[in-house]
Amino acid sequence: MADALIVVVLLLVAASATAAVAQRDPARQALVLSFLGTLLAALFTVLQAPDVGLSQLAVGSALTPLLIMLCVRKIRRRGRSKEDAR
Amino acid sequence: MNGWILAATVALGGGGAAALWGVTTGPPARRVIAQNLTTSAFCPALLLLAQGYGRPAYVDLALLLALLGPVGTLVFARLLSDDLSAQDASAWGLTWTAAVLGAAAVVALCVAVGPGRAMVKLLVIGVLLIGGNVIASRALAGGFRGVRGG
Repeated sequence: MADALIVVVLLLVAASATAAVAQRDPARQALVLSFLGTLLAALFTVLQAPDVGLSQLAVGSALTPLLIMLCVRKIRRRGRSKEDAR
Repeated sequence: MNGWILAATVALGGGGAAALWGVTTGPPARRVIAQNLTTSAFCPALLLLAQGYGRPAYVDLALLLALLGPVGTLVFARLLSDDLSAQDASAWGLTWTAAVLGAAAVVALCVAVGPGRAMVKLLVIGVLLIGGNVIASRALAGGFRGVRGG
């Protein structure tokens, strides 16, 4: 019976990972990736590995989306300034 | 499987499915709101799991999520501000529903744990969760116009 929780979380992980790959825009991918990071932390907790879950939570919920969004913004700005120079 | 784990399953499955649906479809404003919903659905679920497994140490995960979840939402609110300013990204009904659900989970756990240091920790997590949720929702709705752009 306790396996039902693991099955639910595994199904959600599979669905959200597929959705993250299927998105076209990097900013939207970062949003789905943030959801996936938090969900993976929940999966690790359900599988009785809360230490891994703690580090996954720290990296996945805030740090990875922050890096991706900063990269997206920098690239957009660079493209914009090149267009202005022409 | 006891009642706590059953409640955590419902919170993880229902909240996770709703947040996944919202974060993959629709305009950017709705996606960011759904990303914020992730925190307010998973944090009570982690608290319920800690009680269900009988391991108070698991509460630390919920504490970290209550701290870092609003930070992640604020990152998106700041860096997606151009997209968000075009649309109305406020969902106060959802915000207060999530806050009431989180408060209900914290109160139920406080009753189960009884007075002591663990109860103080649970109350701190509840205050962090609801406060962060309200602050993040206000930032998404454009409540802090002074820190836009950048």
